[in-house]
Amino acid sequence: MDVSQYLEIFIDETKEHLQSLNTQILNLEQDSENADTINEIFRAAHSLKGMAGTMGYKRMQNLTHDMENVFSEVRNGNIKVRANMIDILFQCLDALEEYLDNIQSSADEGTNDNEPLIRELNRILTGGAAEAPGKAAEQKASVTEDSASAAWTGITLGESEKVVIDKALEEGKKVYGLTVYVQESCILKAARAFLVFKAVESLGEIIVSHPSAQDIEDEKFENDFSIIVLSDSPLDQILKEAQAVSEIEKVVGGVFDPGAASGKTAEHEEIRETEDKKEHTVKEETKAAETPKAEEKAGAEERSAQMPAVQETPAASSAAPARQEKKQTTNKPVVNRTVRVDIEKLDSLMNLVSELIIAKNSLVSISASGDNDMAINSAFNEQIEYLESVTTNLHESVMKVRMVPIESVVQKFPRMIRDLQKKLGKKMELYMSGEETELDRTVVDEIGDPLMHLLRNAADHGLESAEVRKEKGKPAVGSIHLDAYQDGNNVIIEVSDDGGGINVESVKQKAITRNVITPEQAENMSDKDIVNLLFLPSFSTAEKVTDVSGRGVGLDVVKSKIEALSGEVDVKTKFGEGSTWTIRLPLTLAIIQALMVVVGDEKYAISLGSIETIENITDKDIKYVQAKEVINLRGAVIPLIRLDDMLDIRKEKGGDENLVVVIVRKGDKQAGLVVDELIGQQEIVIKSLGKYINKCKFISGATILGDGEVALILDANAMF
Amino acid sequence: MDLLKMNTEQMMDPDEDEYVAPQITQFIVVRFGEEQYGIDIKYVDNIVRMQHITRVPKVSDHIKGVINLRGEVVPVMSVRLKMNLEEDVETKATRIIILKLEQHCNIGILVDEVKEVVNLEESQIERVSYEAKDDKSNFIYGIGKYDGGLISLLDLNTVIVEKEN
Repeated sequence: MDVSQYLEIFIDETKEHLQSLNTQILNLEQDSENADTINEIFRAAHSLKGMAGTMGYKRMQNLTHDMENVFSEVRNGNIKVRANMIDILFQCLDALEEYLDNIQSSADEGTNDNEPLIRELNRILTGGAAEAPGKAAEQKASVTEDSASAAWTGITLGESEKVVIDKALEEGKKVYGLTVYVQESCILKAARAFLVFKAVESLGEIIVSHPSAQDIEDEKFENDFSIIVLSDSPLDQILKEAQAVSEIEKVVGGVFDPGAASGKTAEHEEIRETEDKKEHTVKEETKAAETPKAEEKAGAEERSAQMPAVQETPAASSAAPARQEKKQTTNKPVVNRTVRVDIEKLDSLMNLVSELIIAKNSLVSISASGDNDMAINSAFNEQIEYLESVTTNLHESVMKVRMVPIESVVQKFPRMIRDLQKKLGKKMELYMSGEETELDRTVVDEIGDPLMHLLRNAADHGLESAEVRKEKGKPAVGSIHLDAYQDGNNVIIEVSDDGGGINVESVKQKAITRNVITPEQAENMSDKDIVNLLFLPSFSTAEKVTDVSGRGVGLDVVKSKIEALSGEVDVKTKFGEGSTWTIRLPLTLAIIQALMVVVGDEKYAISLGSIETIENITDKDIKYVQAKEVINLRGAVIPLIRLDDMLDIRKEKGGDENLVVVIVRKGDKQAGLVVDELIGQQEIVIKSLGKYINKCKFISGATILGDGEVALILDANAMF
Repeated sequence: MDLLKMNTEQMMDPDEDEYVAPQITQFIVVRFGEEQYGIDIKYVDNIVRMQHITRVPKVSDHIKGVINLRGEVVPVMSVRLKMNLEEDVETKATRIIILKLEQHCNIGILVDEVKEVVNLEESQIERVSYEAKDDKSNFIYGIGKYDGGLISLLDLNTVIVEKEN
């Protein structure tokens, strides 16, 4: 079974499960008794384990397995949820994410065993058992009772086994006896037995089995077999593990008393001695046989289907070398980016495509049939209109397919805020809204980092410590809001906090001391301009560099990242009351409605989304403010931008009296672009200029016109 | 057969400039002014006739603009300007060679004329040292000798890549 084809699904689903674990564990921290949450966590961990096992990611499987154990104990009420446990669980999730990253980039989980974490988990388990001794003892007692008559008590020990047991007891391990009853309907008893062996060996060491391991493997037993196990883990865990194998009727067990057994042993000593050696070799054999099969264990365990495990084994081991081969050939990320698409969206796409074909066929038949020019013309026009509506709808549908809710990105933030809270020693709460807002997949993928920066910023710089907040009469717990909503053709994401706000004066001083601006310049700058200095590279006002923020790499990265997505970021702040960061992103990236204009002899496209109005003005309307051209348009003073100057367009400077001005808007600011001629509105497909052209900031891309010519798209936002 | 194999190997690893092939490398011989230059054929995606180039404002001088290459927008640069030669003069022979140095990332270069394709053995290529500091030689990694004379072999990576000043 080659599993590589499932890699994408695996990665997608693992991400989902990890996310759900993150969210649920956060819930658990708030409400440690919620049974639904615990069940949800258990399910997610269990599926994770199964998936990792099936894919052959053993380290990942081990870790999830131990996590699952903890969750199952919590579910059974044997362990109480405590703060340090939550911390460890979160660390585990981080480790799992690391595995996932490795898998995503190289199809291999990496070599980190995360042993400390596994030890911690086991400590929780054993600690938990010790903490609830009453319950555990009760269970044990009952188990021992009904297992008193169980077959494992009849197991006899050889000398070497006794030595092993004594040694183990000295080391503080426990010795248990188990009898496993296989369902009578079970067809492949040996396979089930093998799975039980594997399950038990994951927790401890099997020293004796009855019948012998070889006989069990050859299916030479009735419906039950017994084993003696050395282990650190509590008995019920081992029982549960064994019980988890399909088609196992029941498992009984108890603490094995070597003293009691030895009496019996004596009786059989002579027989045992002869068998002793045989037993040893057999044990080694089974061990050797088991190692390659190890990977398959959890996978098989998961499948409740009655798949014969024995038949799968060779397949699983053949998958392993296949994977290794693959590993060598691929060093690039092995997984393409995918979008999960609602089948309904695909159906509507399919419908549109069929309409497109119908339209094409009609056009063909018109051109074939026509004898009357007039008739052809009107039929053509009709079809073209039809075609237009189909393509518009098709565009919309394809866009919708590319849209994903930002949920996938923002989901991880509550966890981050929780961690920050601990790290910074501040109390804060994150409120989110609009997680269902949809954005293009490419944008959603990129928006995570900038948002994270802004949230960290808000947590570190924005919010004050609890004491300061109290002095100021604010609630001790600071609040950070993350709101997303759609606004026309844009999506707005706001990060706001009720912290101290930005100290404009201190930013100004800092800018002056760092020679970013001169004191004279500072005099003339508005507060807003000064706040915008924060977006310059290497400008951090944090007094001390913390782990969280303050390295001066935050805000300029945020800005450039968002601008790369043709979005913009803005900040509003009120000193003492908090600040709001607003990210404005275009809904779609690929196709836009644009106004085509002519400047000189060049054609440019301006996105319709940023155009407010188009005005005809005369020379006389132009006024001067600070030696800059402005016009007074219905009471608003709007600066004029001569596109020919700005874009170095060679043009005869004619004393044109009448000017065509395209008024564009960015937020609440306006500007007038002076163009020579308007061509009209058009739907354009945005193409990138490629990476060899070092970005001209006024140009956001290019498009190909109907006549095959390339026209550049003006980024009106960059003109301000 | 061997040649084919070699070529595909090279294609898979375009970064490896120093690939020492015992076999033959193919070069497209182009002309800038009086000089002949060679472009390793493995980087050449296409050769197209001169067409309208849309100027892009505010970019380096040697970027002439962008063209429409079958629905893709491809930047075009002038190697002449990059090498500090006089500006291109458009003639009937002028061609745009579309280079593909990386996946999904084409760039066109203007040449005065495309002359022929030559096969050069390693022994016919003389590597130049980088002692010569003048601008032009920085873009050349070797000199090829063949019947038609000498051709300077362009080191496309340095030609294409924007040097940070």
